[in-house]
Amino acid sequence: MTANQGKSTVLVYGTNMSGYRTIYALGKLGYKTILLNRGKYVDEVKNQVLSQLPLDLCWACAFGPQRMFVGLGALNVFYSADILEIKGTPGNYKVKIKKKDPYVNNFICTECNKCVEVCPEGAIEVMPKVFWENIYLINEEKCTKCGKCEEICPTGALKLDKKEEELEVEVAGIVLSPEYVDVDKGDLEKFGYKVFKNVLKNSDIVRGNIPTSFVLNSLKRRSDGKLPQKIAIIVTPQYNNIEYEDFNTTNIAVYRAVRIKELHPSADVTIFMRNYRGFGKGAYKIYERAKEIGVKIIKADDVYLNELENNDLEITYKLAGKQNKENYEFVILVTGQKAPIEEVKKFEKLCKIKGDNHGFCYIEPFTNNKTNIPGIYAGGEFTGPRGNPETVWEGYDIAQDILDFLGKPVVSPPQPPPFRDVSKEEVKIGVFLCSCFGKFNDKIDIERLKDEASKIPYVTHVEILNGACTPQTIQENAKKIRESGVNRVILAVCTPLQKLMKFRKTVMMGGLNPLLAEFLRLREDVVNVHEDKEKKLEKALSLIRAAALKLKYALPFPGASDKFHGKAFVIGGGVAGMEAAIRLAKRGVQVTLIEKSDSLGGIAYRLDSDIEGRDLKKFIESQIKEIKRNENIKVYLNSEVDSIKGYAGNFKIIFSENKKITHIEDAGVIFIATGAKIREVSSYFYGKNPNIYTQLDMEKAINEGKFSAKSVVMIQCVGSRNKAYPYCSRICCSQALKNALRLREKGVEVTILYRDLKLYGFKEDYYKEAVNKGVNFIRFYDDNYPKAGQTENGFKITVKEYGTDEEKAINCDALVLSVGIRPDIETNKKLSQMTGIKLFENGFFAISPGPFEEAAKKLMKPFELQTNGVFPIGMALSPRTVDESLLTARQAVGQSLIFLKKQRLPAPNGVFVSEVDESKCVGCGYCVEVCPYNARSIDEVKKKAVVHPFLCDSCGACVVACPSGAAFIRDLQDKQVIASIDALLG
Amino acid sequence: MTWEPKIVYIMCSWCGSGGAESASAYGLKYPENIKPFRVWCTGGLDPAYILRAFLEGADGILISGCHPGDCHYDTGNYFARRRLAALKTILKTFGFDEDRVWLRWVGHSEGKRLVDTAIEFNEHIKKLGPNKI
Repeated sequence: MTANQGKSTVLVYGTNMSGYRTIYALGKLGYKTILLNRGKYVDEVKNQVLSQLPLDLCWACAFGPQRMFVGLGALNVFYSADILEIKGTPGNYKVKIKKKDPYVNNFICTECNKCVEVCPEGAIEVMPKVFWENIYLINEEKCTKCGKCEEICPTGALKLDKKEEELEVEVAGIVLSPEYVDVDKGDLEKFGYKVFKNVLKNSDIVRGNIPTSFVLNSLKRRSDGKLPQKIAIIVTPQYNNIEYEDFNTTNIAVYRAVRIKELHPSADVTIFMRNYRGFGKGAYKIYERAKEIGVKIIKADDVYLNELENNDLEITYKLAGKQNKENYEFVILVTGQKAPIEEVKKFEKLCKIKGDNHGFCYIEPFTNNKTNIPGIYAGGEFTGPRGNPETVWEGYDIAQDILDFLGKPVVSPPQPPPFRDVSKEEVKIGVFLCSCFGKFNDKIDIERLKDEASKIPYVTHVEILNGACTPQTIQENAKKIRESGVNRVILAVCTPLQKLMKFRKTVMMGGLNPLLAEFLRLREDVVNVHEDKEKKLEKALSLIRAAALKLKYALPFPGASDKFHGKAFVIGGGVAGMEAAIRLAKRGVQVTLIEKSDSLGGIAYRLDSDIEGRDLKKFIESQIKEIKRNENIKVYLNSEVDSIKGYAGNFKIIFSENKKITHIEDAGVIFIATGAKIREVSSYFYGKNPNIYTQLDMEKAINEGKFSAKSVVMIQCVGSRNKAYPYCSRICCSQALKNALRLREKGVEVTILYRDLKLYGFKEDYYKEAVNKGVNFIRFYDDNYPKAGQTENGFKITVKEYGTDEEKAINCDALVLSVGIRPDIETNKKLSQMTGIKLFENGFFAISPGPFEEAAKKLMKPFELQTNGVFPIGMALSPRTVDESLLTARQAVGQSLIFLKKQRLPAPNGVFVSEVDESKCVGCGYCVEVCPYNARSIDEVKKKAVVHPFLCDSCGACVVACPSGAAFIRDLQDKQVIASIDALLG
Repeated sequence: MTWEPKIVYIMCSWCGSGGAESASAYGLKYPENIKPFRVWCTGGLDPAYILRAFLEGADGILISGCHPGDCHYDTGNYFARRRLAALKTILKTFGFDEDRVWLRWVGHSEGKRLVDTAIEFNEHIKKLGPNKI
């Protein structure tokens, strides 16, 4: 099928974040989506964001795209919806669905509460106050359909004639992203959840925190309201077979413990977990910090709870085979998720997708989202235990994959009308007061406000608006602005955070540049938050006065745009780099890939298979073949970057081949896939005794038939997770287990000495298999590594066992060290200096300051260009397995495709960008240093600062840093701020 | 008439303003004499504006941005924190009560925290009395 024949719509089932992110990416690429929400309102079916949240943030912004794309006509949301039948072929599915529109259209509801007041049955409920808006629902059992609410609704948002309906939609592809299956009372019986009063899930606490952030009150015992002194945190999936754990679960426990200690330092906090499974970068730092501030971490083998008479909890736990008991006052459970068995079964029937042996959706090997049926993709927690960042990344991955089946883009943002030139006119300000469909009338004397406002200098027109946010009122108001003849507008309305686009549109349709308008929050700053009518009036007037003075100096600006090179440059020819190049080339992007060594494949090519037994070599060979075949990809081996100049869309890269030939390339985006190196070992006589191997050495020896040891001891975390390398390499535990299982088949005795086994997700299965097959496991203390002595025919290893403190001695023929990886620090440092992307102190690229923030930032604007068109992927970012490396590459491709195909792009932040007054600028460069977006540089010829409007997000850091007052933001110039603040104080 | 302090509440466009919106959604109340002023980022707030506001008779200045690590612009709130610390030292050197400026993080969803902060600050300034400049 050629691309142009395909449909341009995608169906997304479920409200998991990967689905939301697919919608976002496809919307930006110009495709339509239909979202099936099984709930009656936006988050009735809870998804991971709000329920398995590691942080005490609300993350409501994850749903932001929804509003924007519904407004553009790119997204259609069906509520109370489900799939009934799937027919057709990939690229051309016919899906029968049922849906029931909500009675209250949330997009035009102004929350006036009149329907609630008028309902004789009390059937209208207000839900759920999670975000900054309230959702109005009708309880069908109580409702008599008397129609009073519909009559009184001032905006027509409430309509009672909604019925369940069935319809058939034609779509190119289907994305399955149902929400994760939470654990509840029955699943957590062992821990007494909802039976014992003082046992709570972490997610309960997080949800409770949303209005206030984490406070001491969140910790109060539910039985007597007392603040507990002894608190236990249990990572339940490690003790409960029906739950699955993602890599982040133990991090969440540690984070919670640290937060408790910060707020309540005298508390005694203990975490029960079997293994700590956080890896890499900042996660391990938090773990260390937890230990520093006195959080106790017990790596117990089994845990169960009993409630005592005073509602305290007795925790029984096993430590190296020995039973222990301890009492706690309060217990927090950090829970996992269950397999979505029902949902998988449903889709097995509907579209023949397969489930895997854990009850999750089956995913094709070496993909992150492909089900066994072409054109049907699955993302997020439906496919396995997932942390929040991967879930978001999978959304981008699906978006770039599903393009296979999509036709032409059909959505493009509407063009604004031409603006009136007001530069020669005198300042004439129009004040438009929204009455919120009469709701404000009894809360503020709006008529008097109108009279008083008209006395303010420069104000030539004051008018009361019925509303300002419904399509009809937007049209009317635009007309009013045009007819009044004003050239500056104050809209005294409500939340611009939610409705900014609508207000801006109103002004633009009124023929004025949006910089000539101010949006006051009459509702948020005056009407809703104060009691005294007289004082409200005064405050409203002073806000209008301040806005009028700000507008007096307003500078209109048409908005900037910039050219964008549609080419990509990939540094590094490992799995991640090759994957990025292949995916980009597939979408017609010209790619240049350079590799430092003389062959492609990177570190993964040295492994033969992974723990799942899949043939890595074959996969990498197929990648190499594709790279060589594809004419969109140019490959340079033995090449290194000499310099990178420019910014997103306009990079100039100079690199040399064989240290002789110099090449120059233009590119719009750069992928850094420098990978990692096997860490050098200096301990345990490595290199001095032929019977000491690293895991990789041993694999090689086995393959060459040179390995004959009859007993093997493996030591994990050699040189890892210490001060010099404070992160986990994430791959050595599974590599060790893979090799241990292989050796057991040959009858070799294997003992694994470890600190933590980091086998999150489904990899836990291999641990069980290893135990069954007789692999011996001994845990040692973090700060007490096993000691090795050489004997006549091998080694004698002594180790102090964790929990029992027993000194154990093991004799073996061969000693195998799991040494992990380290970043290619020299190359990364060089590239970091050239691109401005910071490095963590351990040498990996930092795309944001911490492990959790990384996830949160992904959800916020401006996602794609946050890293200035440079995407660190794979192990350049942090230690990763092959699949995880592939995911980072694919998601970065998904992100970059959004703008790679565009020849010109408007500045992402539109008209609000910082500027330089060249007459004042001395070219000192202070602004360049503080700019978080690399948006400023110094023009070498003129010696003046230059702003790339494309990168600027108008934070104002440069304005404050500028010693000569040359930097300014268009809508917050000095004189505007000073005049406004003076007016507020007046 | 009893004296009411003149207080300007400077909020960043993302978290601070968001907090104010959450407060409104929850119907929480705070004193009317606290007047909001929006900047894009607390990191883009020139301390000169604060000095000027005191010269113009402000009794207190309250500033709210995103929690550390949570800045919409990555690091703006750290800039603000450092600048405020420097400004406070300067104010103190001049014999001006540096406690008339507060910087307190408020997240988008933390309407309650915003209102509590506003009320607390208002009481605090009332105790300090009018700005004598």
